[in-house]
Amino acid sequence: MKSGVGVELEHLWIRFGDFVAVRDASVKIEEGEFFSFLGPSGCGKTTILRTVSGFQDPSEGRVLIGGRDMAGTGPNKRPTALIFQNLALFPLMKVWENIAFSLEVRGVSKAGRRKRADELLDLIALPDQGDKLVDELSGGQRQRVAVARALAAEPQVLLLDEPLSALDLKLRQHMRTELRAIQQRVGLTFIYITHDQGEALTMSDHVAVMREGVIEQVGDGKEIYDDPATSFVASFVGENNAFSGRVTSLNGSHAVVDTEVGALRARIATAARGTLQQDDNAMVFIRPESLDVAADGAAGDHTLSARVVNEEFEGQSYHVFMEAGDGGSPIKMSLTNRGQAHISSIGGALTLAYDPDQAVALPQGALSDQE
Amino acid sequence: MAAAVRKFIEKNGVGMAVFMTLAVTFWIMVLIVLPQLTMVDFSFRFKLPPDAIGGPQDQWTTTNYEYFIKGNPGNSDGWNRVDVTVFTRTLIAAFFVTVFNFIVCYPIAYYMAKVATGGWARMLALSLVVPYWINEILRAFAFRIIFGDAGLINTMLKTLGLITDSIDFIRADIALYAGLGYAYILLMIFPLYSAIESLDRNQVEAARDMGSPWWRIHWRIVMPFAKPGITAGCTMVFMLSAGALAAPQILGGPSSLWFTQIIYQGFFEYFNWQRGAAYAIILLGSCMIIVLSLTKLFGGKMGEIGR
Amino acid sequence: MRARILARGLTGLYLLAFFGFLFGPLFIMVVTALNSSSFPRIAPWDCLSFEWFVKLAGDERLQSGLLTSLGVGVAVVMVSVALGLAGALFLTQIRPSLRTAYYTLITAPILIPGVVLGISTLIFWDRTAQLLGFGTDSIFYNGIFLTVAGQSSFISSYCMLVIISRLQRFDTGQIEAALDLGATNTQAFRKILLPFLKPAIISAAVIAFLASFENYNTTVFTISHLHTFTTIISQKVRLGIDPSISAVAFIIIVLTLIGALLYEGMMKRGELKKARALPEGPGAAAVLQGFFKKNPAMIMSVMVVVATIFGIWFAIGHSADQCKADLRAEKLERQRRLEEQYRQTLPAAGAEESGGAPASQGLGAGTFGNVFDPKNLEGQAGVGEEGEPPATEEEEQQ
Repeated sequence: MKSGVGVELEHLWIRFGDFVAVRDASVKIEEGEFFSFLGPSGCGKTTILRTVSGFQDPSEGRVLIGGRDMAGTGPNKRPTALIFQNLALFPLMKVWENIAFSLEVRGVSKAGRRKRADELLDLIALPDQGDKLVDELSGGQRQRVAVARALAAEPQVLLLDEPLSALDLKLRQHMRTELRAIQQRVGLTFIYITHDQGEALTMSDHVAVMREGVIEQVGDGKEIYDDPATSFVASFVGENNAFSGRVTSLNGSHAVVDTEVGALRARIATAARGTLQQDDNAMVFIRPESLDVAADGAAGDHTLSARVVNEEFEGQSYHVFMEAGDGGSPIKMSLTNRGQAHISSIGGALTLAYDPDQAVALPQGALSDQE
Repeated sequence: MAAAVRKFIEKNGVGMAVFMTLAVTFWIMVLIVLPQLTMVDFSFRFKLPPDAIGGPQDQWTTTNYEYFIKGNPGNSDGWNRVDVTVFTRTLIAAFFVTVFNFIVCYPIAYYMAKVATGGWARMLALSLVVPYWINEILRAFAFRIIFGDAGLINTMLKTLGLITDSIDFIRADIALYAGLGYAYILLMIFPLYSAIESLDRNQVEAARDMGSPWWRIHWRIVMPFAKPGITAGCTMVFMLSAGALAAPQILGGPSSLWFTQIIYQGFFEYFNWQRGAAYAIILLGSCMIIVLSLTKLFGGKMGEIGR
Repeated sequence: MRARILARGLTGLYLLAFFGFLFGPLFIMVVTALNSSSFPRIAPWDCLSFEWFVKLAGDERLQSGLLTSLGVGVAVVMVSVALGLAGALFLTQIRPSLRTAYYTLITAPILIPGVVLGISTLIFWDRTAQLLGFGTDSIFYNGIFLTVAGQSSFISSYCMLVIISRLQRFDTGQIEAALDLGATNTQAFRKILLPFLKPAIISAAVIAFLASFENYNTTVFTISHLHTFTTIISQKVRLGIDPSISAVAFIIIVLTLIGALLYEGMMKRGELKKARALPEGPGAAAVLQGFFKKNPAMIMSVMVVVATIFGIWFAIGHSADQCKADLRAEKLERQRRLEEQYRQTLPAAGAEESGGAPASQGLGAGTFGNVFDPKNLEGQAGVGEEGEPPATEEEEQQ
């Protein structure tokens, strides 16, 4: 089996008529890594994948695979294999014929094909299922057959287009682990497309978050979660409480923003350092798990007050839903259950505190509309 | 344009791209468009001996069309009574055959689409297809056996003592209309069926809930919904009935011609191809005008033909 | 409740009437093939006889027509399936703005009357030949060539419609998957798309063949001095009808029925197989076992085949001679009695008057021309019964 190669996108633009699907995308994917494109549907991530696999020509910019410019190289000549969203298994062929298809078109003898197919069936833990029809397999099994079929082509880059989206939750979680394990075993470069942040964060070495054709941030899971580069990333990845306002003071790495719940101090995101200025419109993001009930009498720019609307007990944690003032922004606080008393004063006021290092200040921008 | 061509070749491979282009071009140009255009051109020519073709006499003329209206110069009527009468009668009869067919087929199509289920519905569909694959000539022949002078019906009526002399169903064109109606049943039912089939059953139930009588449900809900199917079915039946040749030849009475028979005679008895071409165009053109104007009148859309 | 029963009853009656209308004529026609009467009829019934099939077997013109039809049919299948396939594939790739116009153009031949297609084909190739300087002995005047061209123009549209309806259900992702796995465009077409389209292509081929075989309106113009099966049948019917045409119908209907039932049975079998395979996994033995299970069409097709074989076996052994002789004797007897009666009531009548009187007794008089002239009858239908002078029937009449 070949080892993975790196993939580079250089100032990639893709237009369909007047519509810009991908806008100046540049990203460097290292060899052998698990790289995800994460974004809501219609953000251009599938278009990027189709461009890498050769089904879509870039309007501008270049795609390099293993350092080679792929312009003019058709999908059947690229060292990539794509796993389609609907898997696109061939329903008229048996499982082993599906897996060995890439060998068949290369003219490998039937015995050789069968042997390789059986090896791959072992790899995906479906031995002795080769003579079934695709229709006779379960969803998860088909999923694995699609992986085996792609691997049989000996690609250096495996492209996966939301391959788990059709599976139910439990199977999806199982397949995540399995895909990651296969990737580590075969050592290929995986490029994974998903709108599910859980998938992206758990499996990937690096994640690119996309919105409306633009790559907003590239980083590992922790960077994306803890140090978002834009307000969209902050609101799309994980849950976040957002407060918008105006920067009233800056001091080194922190800013104070005057919001509807009062002055809030927060760490300026790495991407916004030096660009966020006094009097700019800004947003402060505080994760639900970063909030806590304030100690009696606490006040200042790391506290805020809210009115309790509802609460939800979930076992290991419980969530308190509040609003800033009467009919203001919704606020969510998640507390780890350590046996403390519930907050039973629904309708009552509550003062919350947080660590300003764990809140992020960013320039005002679009939010994700998914939550 | 060049980009589109390149894309087309890229997508299909050179071999397939060439095959597809050649095949489609051949089909459209050599089998469909050019023959029709040649026929139009031909219909505006004089009937000339082969060596005069292309000569000075070979000019455009409307003689063949004038003949349809006026007939031979100096004929006593001043107009071509026979041809025009046959033409009109053909179109009117085709129209009534279509209406009759629709009335007969609509309940069956509805039954198959909404009432019958599973294997029974499939069996019905199969039973509809089987007669359609029996030769057109033989289907007409069957009606001749039934309606003939010594045919089944006359024999039965005589045996029952209802009549003493044979009824001439052939001369009365009853056999012809029955045969034509029979010939195109399938072409009416299938478009109707596929249109009605996609109707949501709940709409019918809702209307029934609101106390609508059954005829109103059909008139206000099912038929408007099935309009594309009705248009397709009626168009096909009308065009094919008006253009039928086998059934009129076999079932037509001695005195009542169908317009296609006049065309046929023009070709094979008078060897006047130019006039035959002109008549063919008159038939095609009038049928199209009638279909298009009726479609327009009922607010349907063309281009939904297909099975 | 009562209204419901009434509605049910009416529906049933209507269905019965409709399918009676649909199958009645075919049934009657088929049965007339077995009656020895020389006019195709079921009542009055003369004798069960297979002589019309024998007559058919000896009809060389019909057989050569059949051969022509088969040749034309095969050629039309090849041309139409290829064109229909190309036309359908093209439709999926064409710009949406052009699609309607293109679709209208390639389905138009279905609506153009066959007569018009025949004439335009004839004229077009005549013109082409003249333009290119070919004589009347060239291929452009060959009836088979012209018929294939004329029929293909609209049969290709049928094929296109059949193929497109399957093509619309094709997931183009599969082609992309094949390309992605290294297949060339040609390989992707041959190994993925073509196998997927195979059932539709087979259906299209069957439909094309049947449509070609039964076509009359176009063929009668394009076939020139040659004949196809259908044009010969048509000539026969127009010149005068006799039960050998019913015998043709008999054979065609039985073949169609077997074909249709087999097709239905195969479809059903495929479905059952699929349905069984899903919950139980592999079950080759069960599939074989269940070849007939829950599959009435399959059972019926086998029954029709068995009945046909039995019928042929019976027909070979059966002779209508005795029955016909009895019938003739009976007729003679009746005739004799009538004549006697006649003589008794009109003892003075001259011999010349007796000729026309019992004409209404004849089998079927007049309108169909001289076909029903008994002389003619014997001449046509006589299969050479021994010791039966051809004049017998004539004597009866006198």
